[in-house]
Amino acid sequence: MVDFARVQKELKECNKEMNVSGISVKVKADSLSHLIGTIPGPVDSPYEGGSFLIDIVLTDGYPFEPPKMKFLTKVWHPNISSQSGAICLDILKDQWSPALTLKTALVSIQALLSAPEPDDPQDAVVAQQYLKEYQTFVGTARHWTEAFAKTSCHGIEEKVQRLVEMGFPEALVKSALEVVGGDENLALEKLCSS
Amino acid sequence: MSSLNSSSSTMGNKPTNCLDSHQQQLEDDDEETISDSFICCVCLDLLYKPIVLECGHVSCFWCVHKSMDAIHESHCPICRHPYHYFPTICEMLHFLLLKMYPLAYKRREEQILEEEKANGCFSPQLDSKEFYSSDGSRPSAVSDLASLSGIASAGKHSSKMDSNGSSASKENDLSAVNINRTYERVSSNDVLCPSCKLLLFRPAVLNCGHVYCEACIVIPEDGIIICKVCEYPHPSDRPNVCLDFNNFLEERFRKEYAAQRESVEQKQERFHHKNPSSCSGSKKSAKKVCCRPTRHGEESKPTENEHKPKVHAGAGCDYCGMYPIVGDRYQCQDCVEVMGFDLCGDCYNTRSKRPGRFNQQHTSDHRFELVKPRALPSNVMLRIVGGYLVDNSGAPVLAISAMEDPPDGWIAVESLEARQNLFNNVADLDGNPGDIMHDNGDSPDGSVEIEFSDAVEVSGHHDDDNVDQYGGEDPPF
Repeated sequence: MVDFARVQKELKECNKEMNVSGISVKVKADSLSHLIGTIPGPVDSPYEGGSFLIDIVLTDGYPFEPPKMKFLTKVWHPNISSQSGAICLDILKDQWSPALTLKTALVSIQALLSAPEPDDPQDAVVAQQYLKEYQTFVGTARHWTEAFAKTSCHGIEEKVQRLVEMGFPEALVKSALEVVGGDENLALEKLCSS
Repeated sequence: MSSLNSSSSTMGNKPTNCLDSHQQQLEDDDEETISDSFICCVCLDLLYKPIVLECGHVSCFWCVHKSMDAIHESHCPICRHPYHYFPTICEMLHFLLLKMYPLAYKRREEQILEEEKANGCFSPQLDSKEFYSSDGSRPSAVSDLASLSGIASAGKHSSKMDSNGSSASKENDLSAVNINRTYERVSSNDVLCPSCKLLLFRPAVLNCGHVYCEACIVIPEDGIIICKVCEYPHPSDRPNVCLDFNNFLEERFRKEYAAQRESVEQKQERFHHKNPSSCSGSKKSAKKVCCRPTRHGEESKPTENEHKPKVHAGAGCDYCGMYPIVGDRYQCQDCVEVMGFDLCGDCYNTRSKRPGRFNQQHTSDHRFELVKPRALPSNVMLRIVGGYLVDNSGAPVLAISAMEDPPDGWIAVESLEARQNLFNNVADLDGNPGDIMHDNGDSPDGSVEIEFSDAVEVSGHHDDDNVDQYGGEDPPF
């Protein structure tokens, strides 16, 4: 059983400081064990200006076991799988400590974005590119940020517009888009299935 | 003591009463502004039955126990300082918190008790009278839950009046006032060092939970610190100063603390003048002396030995707190508690008489049995302990060797259906001598064949002679 009292406190704390850190955590469904975190791309990195969504699942052992985190937004980064969004970060694995929180974990992920560790890669292709053609890497990462991490804020109005035109209520469309990380097709799928 | 697995030990609130308790907590916190020093870093709530680790960091009893590693050395959640001994609750801090935050502490008590009831596993009950009478050094008129309810309601009343009266003032002022008021409930008599009988200066807490000034902890020649109150040996190095507690003392007793600091500094100066070369009593020398090879010999680190597994995963010594037990493990055959009652070889031999770490009703006439560790591949064990073992596909085959004689009349029938239960309940797995996982005592390479059979029976009435009491040959299947 997840320690829900603690999770609630964490959510309160984290969202209180949202204006300062830019990091927020929201409940995904009715259960407190499935959450969505948002981190801004760090300045002076190819991810600057992007807003990255992270899927958070709390296992029964939380906070004695690490939360399961992966990127919902597609990212081009040596330590993050470009396919699945899986994150290679020690504190999310064996170096987890129950004194860490969702917020500190998200801050660590943000730090990982500004300081990749290509020697311990999650995505070998990206890591190779990072080591051999750094400029290409920066270009690709920036392009991915533009293409995937900004749409959720930028083109959101248009997407809402289009989905509303299909006959879905606006509130539902907005929440669906938020849940899937701004991907129009996924949102449509979700709207149709619900 | 044995570990509970994470799924069976629910420390969190159930989602249904989650909001209620949260509301309750907000109300409490309005009346008792809890200083950040006394918030547990794990549950983010008021410390309950606080434990001070060697590194000086404080956490709740259950938070510490559940953060501990069932197989390897444990690490402090805050600073990752490695430790191997589960400390006893620091009673001084416990009663301080009870005095300062009677409402919130009461709420925590009820909350934890509910969880403990659900798990069938209880933390030690701290009876103030017993504590103080056995201690002898302090007046017994201090906090008692019954008398505290009076203080609690009084506190409630006054703080309400206060918050009405000073509603115009800033929130910060109010909380500062509240903190001051709660601090004032503690008198200097509550925080005396049992050694120098003065106000604690730079408090450090031994494994037995007793608090001393840092300078009052003297390391003898053999390097083993003995507590002057309970005469129990401290199993590791000199503990660090508990800074949260220290900050509280400094803030609450400004004058006395400053005076203490001065006198200690003077003493140190004099000492240094006398023998400028030696620095006994300082941290460095303590470290050197404490590298004692004696007590647990080479097995002081719980590493899995390929040939002779010595680590009793998930089992801890109820006297010295070693967790997991490395070396010999004696299991009480008469304790009925879920946690069981275990001793390490050293504590079994010294026959120390201390209460169990989980409120077990253990008495000295209980019988003990030497138990051998299960030689499971550590990765499998990890998954069991972590409750990860969900699919059976990767599960190894379980074999049985009757390495220990089950108690008379014991008959265990484990079926495939029971297997899931088994994996979901490490306490069961640990406590039952008849469970389907026994290690192969004589296996030369330490490897164990594990095999599931539909119905495995381990009978208490051994008719065949080829089953030794402690790890003979595998019984024929």
